[in-house]
Amino acid sequence: MSVATGVHVSLEEAKLLVEYLETGQQEKADELIAEIQNPINSELFAEIGKLTRQLHDSLNNFQLDSRLNDLATADIPDAKERLNYVIARTEEAANKTMDAVESIFPVVDTIQKQIKAVNPLWQKLMHNKLDLPEFKSLCVDIDLLLKTTDKESVRMHDLMTDVLMAQDFQDLTGQVIRKVIDLVREVEDSLIGMLTAFGLSSEGSSEPSKPKVGDNLVEGPIVNAAQRDDVVADQDDVDDLLSSLGF
Amino acid sequence: MFSPEGALDKNMKVLVVDDFSTMRRIVKNLLRDLGFTNISEADDGSTALPMLKEGSFDFVVTDWNMPGMQGIDLLKAIRADANLSHIPVLLITAEAKKEQIVMAAQAGVNGYIVKPFTAATLNAKLDKIFERLG
Repeated sequence: MSVATGVHVSLEEAKLLVEYLETGQQEKADELIAEIQNPINSELFAEIGKLTRQLHDSLNNFQLDSRLNDLATADIPDAKERLNYVIARTEEAANKTMDAVESIFPVVDTIQKQIKAVNPLWQKLMHNKLDLPEFKSLCVDIDLLLKTTDKESVRMHDLMTDVLMAQDFQDLTGQVIRKVIDLVREVEDSLIGMLTAFGLSSEGSSEPSKPKVGDNLVEGPIVNAAQRDDVVADQDDVDDLLSSLGF
Repeated sequence: MFSPEGALDKNMKVLVVDDFSTMRRIVKNLLRDLGFTNISEADDGSTALPMLKEGSFDFVVTDWNMPGMQGIDLLKAIRADANLSHIPVLLITAEAKKEQIVMAAQAGVNGYIVKPFTAATLNAKLDKIFERLG
């Protein structure tokens, strides 16, 4: 250990050194020696110590940031559940639509067949070539055709309404997907915050936490009604609730 | 669909409010199917309210969750305006918390339909609303 040129130890410092050693304060003794030897070193140590503490604090802040914790443990699983809901609803809608469409086809076919069956005799009538028995037969056929078409067009109308209503998934899935987009944006912001925090100093990157429930308790479509007791399951529940309160 | 006295005028001016155009289309189609012919649309409570103030509407069908002004706030605004407070309002919404249903009822909604809903439900609720008023 060489003594830097131009550095002198004073009596006071020596006495202090002995005192530290006698009272077992090794660390302080070492620091004093280091300081005597090379004052610049101790500044450097102090600076490194400060940075280490800052880094330690920053790392701690990440772990303590409850918003990050919420994202990981609640919001992301919730987002997955929501997207599964989207899949379920769109599949359901597609099937409902196809059910209706598949029911309509045979109806249309039946009407077509009956018209074709009626046509020959009808054409004869149009050309004034129909005899009486044929005419009677034609009347029976046409009667059936009218009855069938009447009944089946009502059914077709209902099926078309089913198809229309099956499109309601788009509204519900749209709302749910919007929420997932909001969540993704928040994760994005948090990640950027993390990067920034590492890049700069200990500026707390606390993102304002988005409330799960909006103004007037809005929450959008409920994807897990079965697990909740604060929501209604269907229209009957709504009606029951309202009438139980006198509305 | 008609009340026994035949008091329901299906030429009445209806406003359908929802931020999803697909839902507006569905409701409009269903209403047309029931004979309503005079139907206008708005994509938010905030665009609906000026239309209502300007335009002598007889009936409002609205969603709840809309970005600008929510349906519940539109309802409250309608009830708070002397010129509009008489207009019956039907909520059709995915919002299904019991608290919200009560909130809407207390704010003066005439009917609450929860999504997904059927054409039969809409028909029944319309009957009920106009039967009570007619």
